[in-house]
Amino acid sequence: MAASCALLGAGAARSQETDMAPPDSGLLEDWSVDSALAYYHEDGRIQAIEPVVDVAKVFADGQALNLNVTFDALSGASPNGALTSRTAQTFASPSGKPKHQYTTAPDQLPVDPDYEDDRIAVGGNWTVPFTRVDQVSVGGKLSAEDDFFSATVNASITHDFNQKNTTLSFGVDNEFDSIHPIGGAPVPGGDYELAEKQAGGKTKDGVGVLLGVTQVMTRNWLSEFNISIDRFHGYLNDPYKFTSIINSAGGTTGYEYENRPDQRTRKSAYWENRIGWSSRVSTALSLRYMSDDWGVRSDTAQLHLRWTFANRDRYIEPTIRWYRQTAADFYMPFILNTEKPTTGHESSDSRLGAFHALTYGVKYAQKLPGLGSRPESEISIRAEYYQQTFDERMPVPAGLQGLDLYPGLKAVLVQIGWRF
Amino acid sequence: MISRLNLALAILASVAVAGCSSLGVKPWQRDVLAREEMQLDSDPLDAAIDDHLYFSKEASSGGRSFAGGGCGCN
Repeated sequence: MAASCALLGAGAARSQETDMAPPDSGLLEDWSVDSALAYYHEDGRIQAIEPVVDVAKVFADGQALNLNVTFDALSGASPNGALTSRTAQTFASPSGKPKHQYTTAPDQLPVDPDYEDDRIAVGGNWTVPFTRVDQVSVGGKLSAEDDFFSATVNASITHDFNQKNTTLSFGVDNEFDSIHPIGGAPVPGGDYELAEKQAGGKTKDGVGVLLGVTQVMTRNWLSEFNISIDRFHGYLNDPYKFTSIINSAGGTTGYEYENRPDQRTRKSAYWENRIGWSSRVSTALSLRYMSDDWGVRSDTAQLHLRWTFANRDRYIEPTIRWYRQTAADFYMPFILNTEKPTTGHESSDSRLGAFHALTYGVKYAQKLPGLGSRPESEISIRAEYYQQTFDERMPVPAGLQGLDLYPGLKAVLVQIGWRF
Repeated sequence: MISRLNLALAILASVAVAGCSSLGVKPWQRDVLAREEMQLDSDPLDAAIDDHLYFSKEASSGGRSFAGGGCGCN
C-alpha cells in the first residue's frame, strides 16, 4: 500500500487512492464506480435526497482520473431568522410564487414553509506522477442551483520521502460564487418591511491553502496532519435571513435583513490517526480546531470503529462525532430596539450561534463478487442521527420568557452505497 | 501566548522533521497499512456527504481538505 503514504491532504487528491481499479483494456472494465443515495430529514424542517456517483480510472503510467456527479433535491421548511413570538407573524415569501405570504403561529419558530431547491454539481480530478516520489493533481468543480452558481479549481503537489513513509503535500484552491437571490439581494441591514433590495446579482470568491504531512508511524498506525487557511471576500450574507427587532416588553416591532462582514478568514488544524488494533478491529480518530476572524472557534472530534467479520466479507462501523462552536461576534438572535448594533453587523442565523452537536452513526457493508474482471464489489447501508443543542442564551424580556427561542436541530441521514 | 494554531504548526514541522529519521516501516511491513480501512480516504462518498451536511449546518468546514463548499446552503 504505497497508497497510504501517497495520500494527500487535499480531499480531491485523496480520493484517487481508494478508487483504484486494475488497469485493463475494456471500455468500462477499467473504471471503478462508487455510488450512494442519501436521504436526509430534519425534524419538522428540511428534507433532501442526494444521489452521488464517482468514477475513477488509473492508467498504466500511473496517471489517475476521477469524475463525479452529485444531485441534491431539497424541500421543506427553512428558518427565516425571525424570533419566535407570542403573536402570529406574517412574512413575505421570497420565492415569487403565487403564494406570496405565510404566517407563523404564536409560540412557533418562524420558517419559510415553501423552501425548495435543486443542486447539481460535477467535479473532476487528474493526478499525474512526474517522478517516482512526486505527483501533481489538478481538479475542479461546478455547482449550480436556482439562485447560486459556484466554480472551484484546485491544484496540489505531493512529495514522498523516507522510503515513502512520509508525504508532504501542498495545495491551493480558488472558489468563485455567483448569487442571484430570488426576489433580489436585500440591502444588508435594510428594513425588511420596506423590502429594501439591490438590483443584480452578488459574488463572492475565496482562496485556500492547505499544507499537510502524512506519516507512517508504525506497522499499524498512520497519521495525517493538516494546516489550512482560507479567505472569502464578497457577499457573505444569507439573503433569505433577517433578524427580529423587539421592544423591552418582548413584542416584535420589525425586522432587519442580516448584515455580515464582507470578508472572512478561517484557519484550521486537522489531525487524523488510523490504527489497526488487530486483524479485525481498526479505528480512525480525527481532531480539528478551527478559528476565524468572525469570532467563531470550534473543536471537532470524530471516531470511527470498524469491526471486520472473520472472513473479511463484511464489516460494521459505528461512529460518533462531537462538535462545539462559539458564536460569531455579531450573532444576535434578536435586536432590542434600544440597542442597535454599533458595528452594523448582525445575523440571527443560528449556524453562527454557540452550540454543540453530537452525531451517532453506524454503517454495515457486505462484500460481493466483482462485476466483470473486478475483484469484488460492496454494498452498504449507514444511518446517522445528528443533534444540535444551544449553549448560550441571551437574556430576554419577560414577555418572551418560557418560549423555546433556541430549538436546536435534530436530523437523520440514511444512505445506501454500491461500489464496484 | 502561543495560539493553538501556532502550536499545531509547530507539531506539523516537528512531525515532518522527525518523519525523516526514525518513524516508518520497511516496504515488506506494510500488510496492515495496505488494508482498505487503513486508507485515509477509505469512504470518500460518506465523507463528502457528511461534509456537505456539516457545511450547511455549522460555521466550520474543511480541515481534512479545503473549506469551500460550492453550495449556497451556507
